[in-house]
Amino acid sequence: MATYSLANERLRALEDIEREIGAILQNAGTVILELSKEKTNERLLDRQAAAFTASVQHVEAELSAQIRYLTQVATGQPHEGSSYSSRKDCQMALKRVDYARLKLSDVARTCEQMLEN
Amino acid sequence: MAQQRALPQSKETLLQSYNKRLKDDVKSIMDNFTEIIKTAKIEDETQVSRATQGEQDNYEMHVRAANIVRAGESLMKLVSDLKQFLILNDFPSVNEAIDQRNQQLRALQEECDRKLITLRDEVSIDLYELEEEYYSSSSSLCEANDLPLCEAYWRLDPDTDSADGLSAPLLASPEPGVGPLQAAAPAHSHTGGSGPTEHA
Repeated sequence: MATYSLANERLRALEDIEREIGAILQNAGTVILELSKEKTNERLLDRQAAAFTASVQHVEAELSAQIRYLTQVATGQPHEGSSYSSRKDCQMALKRVDYARLKLSDVARTCEQMLEN
Repeated sequence: MAQQRALPQSKETLLQSYNKRLKDDVKSIMDNFTEIIKTAKIEDETQVSRATQGEQDNYEMHVRAANIVRAGESLMKLVSDLKQFLILNDFPSVNEAIDQRNQQLRALQEECDRKLITLRDEVSIDLYELEEEYYSSSSSLCEANDLPLCEAYWRLDPDTDSADGLSAPLLASPEPGVGPLQAAAPAHSHTGGSGPTEHA
């Protein structure tokens, strides 16, 4: 189910947030590792620390926005929509195609037998 | 759209809990990280010996690092819960997803049927030629020269369902001796069709 634009945008945004959380932890680890060295690279340190702070704030803002959107659209009722009818129709169409293929193969076999005889 | 509707208590409580978890986890990450940075500062004067202070700082940093990781994992779980909540309760996107799925399936069904109709038209032409060849050849069981093809067909196949006399799946043309076939089915064992049969 990967072709739905609206649903996919929000889910993709949440997946980006997951990646960003991993990046947050990685930045924090890099900063602490850099601090542990005798000669620290200050530019790297500042850059990583700034990235860490920015990522944390971004993640918080994004997740707050998602929760706010859900507060607006959630109804508490279960969704009872379904695509079962069209799925059934499509399944029957595919069965028709299979049946036609079967019958055509019978005809082809009969023709071959006639030719051999 | 900006007004908050009255949600059921459970949903509202759930969303509030999500907010709380978010705030707590972010606060935990920031605080623990800040404290680690502060602890990394080397002080000249310590209340205990340097070694003891070093051990204490080491242990504290370990614990705070573990707290940061725990808060990160809790955030991941929160994102997973939000995804689940979104999939189940975001009605606009669920409706759109269902509509798109229906459109896809309907398009596939129409294409299948369209191709079947094209196939039927092509096969009917070939079947006409095949049956002409068959009934006019020496392998035919009846004398096709004497009988129209439809009659030859009727006599050829005693196993068809002839209970109602409409078992022939083939249509007969009004001209005798000419292939009567407008294919509705490729095989003579097919008993689904019915059509008027004429013979001279």
